[in-house]
Amino acid sequence: MDVLNELLGGFANALTLQNLLFAFIGCVIGTLVGVLPGVGPVAGTAILIPLTLSMDPTSAIIMLGAIFYGSQYGGTITSVLLNTPGEASSAVTVIDGYQMTKKGRAGVALGIAAIGSFVGGTVATAGLVVAAKPLGSLGLKVGPPEFFGLMVLGISLLVALAGKSMVKALLSGVIGLLIALVGIDPTVGAPRFTFGSANLLDGVSFVAVIVGIFGLSEILVSATAQGSTKSLTGGLRAMLPNRQDLRRAAPAIGRGTVIGFSTGLVPGLTGTVTSLLSYGAESKFSRFRKQLGTGAIEGVAGPETANNAHANSALIPLFTLGIPASPTIAVLMGAFLQQGLTPGPSLFTQHSEIAWAIIASLFIGNLICLILNVPLIGVWTSILKIPHGILLAVIMIFLVVGSYTINYNVFDVFVMILFGIVGLVFRRLDIPLAPLVLTLVLGPLMERSLRESLEISQGDFSIFTRPFALTFIIIGAFVLLTPLLKIRKPAALNVDPEA
Amino acid sequence: MKSTKIAALLSAGLLLAGLTACSSSTDASGGTSAPAAKAESNWPQKGKTVDLIVAYAPGGSVDTAARVVAPALEKELGVNVQVTNKPGAGGQIGYTALANSKPDGYTIGAVSAPSVVVTPLDPSRGATFTRESFLPLARQVFDPQVIAVKSDSKFKDLKSLIDYAKAHPGELSATTTGIQTGEHFAMTAVEDVTGAKFNLVAFSEGAASAMAAFLGGHVDIYVGNVSDIVDSGSDNLRVIGVMGEERSPSLPDAHTFKEEGYDVDEGTARGYVAPAGVPDDVAKKLEDAMGKVIQDPAVVDQLAKLGLPTAYLDSADYAEYWTQQETRYKKYLPQMMADAK
Repeated sequence: MDVLNELLGGFANALTLQNLLFAFIGCVIGTLVGVLPGVGPVAGTAILIPLTLSMDPTSAIIMLGAIFYGSQYGGTITSVLLNTPGEASSAVTVIDGYQMTKKGRAGVALGIAAIGSFVGGTVATAGLVVAAKPLGSLGLKVGPPEFFGLMVLGISLLVALAGKSMVKALLSGVIGLLIALVGIDPTVGAPRFTFGSANLLDGVSFVAVIVGIFGLSEILVSATAQGSTKSLTGGLRAMLPNRQDLRRAAPAIGRGTVIGFSTGLVPGLTGTVTSLLSYGAESKFSRFRKQLGTGAIEGVAGPETANNAHANSALIPLFTLGIPASPTIAVLMGAFLQQGLTPGPSLFTQHSEIAWAIIASLFIGNLICLILNVPLIGVWTSILKIPHGILLAVIMIFLVVGSYTINYNVFDVFVMILFGIVGLVFRRLDIPLAPLVLTLVLGPLMERSLRESLEISQGDFSIFTRPFALTFIIIGAFVLLTPLLKIRKPAALNVDPEA
Repeated sequence: MKSTKIAALLSAGLLLAGLTACSSSTDASGGTSAPAAKAESNWPQKGKTVDLIVAYAPGGSVDTAARVVAPALEKELGVNVQVTNKPGAGGQIGYTALANSKPDGYTIGAVSAPSVVVTPLDPSRGATFTRESFLPLARQVFDPQVIAVKSDSKFKDLKSLIDYAKAHPGELSATTTGIQTGEHFAMTAVEDVTGAKFNLVAFSEGAASAMAAFLGGHVDIYVGNVSDIVDSGSDNLRVIGVMGEERSPSLPDAHTFKEEGYDVDEGTARGYVAPAGVPDDVAKKLEDAMGKVIQDPAVVDQLAKLGLPTAYLDSADYAEYWTQQETRYKKYLPQMMADAK
């Protein structure tokens, strides 16, 4: 097969010592960038691009790409160990990941995240090799009405995230929507809820909110609890996932791969949205969904697999159409352009060797990241041995500096502090945090796609009766309404098969 | 014991927040001090750094161009030139910081029109700067707006498109990247000059999302800069009109609007400015240095790879161009605000 030959040629190029080295460096930088809250792959890649201009184009792109998907591996580490998301796309992982740490299963969480990420990334890259062009065109078929349908479906997952009290979940969700309203109204172009502050014209910074509401609130909760300054571990039961864990996580990894791969094809669906959709899917479909929120392995395996699958599959629209699916990819695209390569169909005809070397390196890079991260689990988890009080103080520094580096603006630090207090209040009142995050992310996307659809149709709502749009909306409405219609099950049927 | 811990942690955190607040406010709130009375004839001093404020996020075209210019400027001036990103609010955050910085020649900034021109004109945005807050140094880029259709579209040239749009007002949909963006102004100008009417759909996520919607067939016409087309590398579109004085070297086969008989000249202009009040001799040195850097063949080449055509204007011409742009936008603004409702 022609494609196979090209791919093998790509491997030959990618396996040179130089390119292997750059893939490795990229993974290391990516992991570090992922670990630090506030610093994301966008800033990390953009700042390094000028340095890469003197490098060979293939090596440069290999390294920058590795930073990109490497950061998805790194973001998990602080989420799991410190309840502080290192990356927006790892925000959801804190929910179950940190609970696992509290139960002494931090190593297992990190391990399953790394394995799931590897599987997701590799499958997505295989998809790129096999069916890039048709998949790319498929992604384009999702226009504003279909996107709106997806958002309705996504927000309906709110129901699945509700946990014990639906009212509290809805409260959390509504507050998320209110926060999402701040900024410039996309229809009229006028500011809303900004109270005259130029800093709020872009809305409330999402990363500052999650760093505060998860990270700072954790510190505040610990500080106000009857705590000792001893270390957190209380006996690490297992360092790595065992066969039972793998078996249980397998369906979540499978679902995460499918979700992540699909969302990567649609421009506008970011890694954050993907991880949220995956968590919602786990809440709906996982056999052990009742354990979500208390340290269920699916809550880590699903989203982490999804965000890596997304990172790799988001390269498909870039390679086949020259369209960057998210701001992060746009930066990568800038790197291509500065090297004189135009991503898009012409890349495969004019620079075929470079294109295939990069694709081969995606496989290799994912493997390198896996090998890099798994043995280091012991190193990362030893962070937990630091006395709790000191650890929290150090995390505090990261939170403040991290929030500042989002936009180099002190305002975001204050946002982070405010939401730290909000998070504390929520936790005291037993209000779930996940719905707030969900609506904060999906709300603006829903508003945007609704408005775009109506602008295209000039006010005609029948644009939403297009087949896929209508399907998504109906499924979403169904998911939202079924709890109201559910007949009460006898209590005996609620016992878990495996507690 | 418990309350001491809380107090300790909270005060530590607040202290840190306070420190970061102090350190960053010193560079932003130099204050609109009176222009330095003494002539800074030994500018730039060795060991000091010139801050190039970019009001946009890293990786975007303004930032990328600035990062190409910065090293060249370093060589020219003999001091460090550092790019600082202050993104947000479509540039307003960075422009405000630039306008407030000390006019001593050690802070300059990259600006992009229409945003820098329009922001002060819109009262609801509450901008604290105006055109007079800046001293134009040099214009680097003029990136004309273009109109493109799909390759299999029934419109083979600009005239057929305009005629159809005049006969069927509001039927053809066209992309913009938001209210008061370059595309919005460009299409308002086109409608004004030709009498055609289009249905403008704003894709506030940016040019990439507009391009995706266009390629997916959800919108009829793509409106964007030459650089957006060049960057996209897609072979599934045809550019049927360029809104510049001359044909774009990156798109040699695309006719200009003027060639086809429509007097439309719209595009994104990007350049560099200093805060107003910089002493004359420092300003002159900056202007000369920027002029040399922008016209340096290596820099021009790098920008060309990004699809950004270099169209250098020196300080005086740039100021003149800026005035013309502002006049034109003032004319269109009321109609655009009315359209948006």
